[in-house]
Amino acid sequence: MTSPRELAEADESTAVAPVEHGGVTEHAPGLLPGEVRPHPSPLQYVLIAVILCVVTAVEIAVSYTEGDIPDSLIVVLLMGMAVLKFALVAAWFMHLRTDLPIFRRFFVLGIVAAIILYLIVLATLGVF
Amino acid sequence: MATIEQTTEVGAPAHRGGSGGHDEHATATGVTNKKLAMWLFLASDCLFFGAFIATYLLYRGRDSVGPGPKELFDIPFTSATSFILLMSSLTMVLALAAIQRGDERRLRIWLMATALLGATFIAGQVFEFTEFNAEGLDLDTNLFGSTFFILTGFHGAHVTVGIIWLMSLWGMASQGRLKQGDSEKVEIAGLYWHFVDVVWIVIFTVIYLVPQPAAPGG
Repeated sequence: MTSPRELAEADESTAVAPVEHGGVTEHAPGLLPGEVRPHPSPLQYVLIAVILCVVTAVEIAVSYTEGDIPDSLIVVLLMGMAVLKFALVAAWFMHLRTDLPIFRRFFVLGIVAAIILYLIVLATLGVF
Repeated sequence: MATIEQTTEVGAPAHRGGSGGHDEHATATGVTNKKLAMWLFLASDCLFFGAFIATYLLYRGRDSVGPGPKELFDIPFTSATSFILLMSSLTMVLALAAIQRGDERRLRIWLMATALLGATFIAGQVFEFTEFNAEGLDLDTNLFGSTFFILTGFHGAHVTVGIIWLMSLWGMASQGRLKQGDSEKVEIAGLYWHFVDVVWIVIFTVIYLVPQPAAPGG
């Protein structure tokens, strides 16, 4: 089976930049508006879904280790896996890795703004 | 300042397979305004859900009365509904792939599958709320009840809106009004759907899986 790294490398090689004519940006032939390279194939989507299932299963298993390993380690592991799942869905299913960077910038801006804002709020109110 | 959208004679979309085609036109950014607007909405929704998650974390473990999460949560059940929502993201991208290659039959199948999986998730959430309520947890019982119901309830409302959106697309597809050239309509609905999925990934981890503080009074 093709590995995710091979899939990513194959996609890198097919990247096509949009073309600008008179201040108006047109998408490359064969691509949809906003695409830099073609969207993943159905097989790649299924592969990502399988990875998501495996990570979810590991997450649930880790949550049952409460009392056997330190809670702080469980929290770090769970948050790491949540971030991985979040990134996989955003990159592959929401096409952030194949679409123009402008979408990624908007979305990352929202996430980073939310994280900074609420970390400050929680720190101010003594949660940490 | 240049406007985002400029009318141009370039006009015609270059959809793969290109049998459809509607009157969208090239823009200064190279992307359509609807898709850009959806991404901006999703970015703002991060702050919306961030507020509720932060509020939950702020009041976590500060209750003096129960019932609390330790007594109420049924992790296997919620894991199953979370899995269902995760798989609905797969069926959603398969619906998009289907319309992009002009396969309208599979588009209808995957759209319906996504809506049904979403409805199953909502049914699970309604069941969970009912069970919690039977155990004595209400919106105003304690801090956990307030923050939990508000956060998961707003997420459920988002999923419900997504189901209505998907069913309307399915209705259009069934009437032959959703062609290959309209794939962006499915893509934008898909972006919304995947967003409620990624929000649930965070909620599921932070609320259900992260070790809970000791039970009230315990």
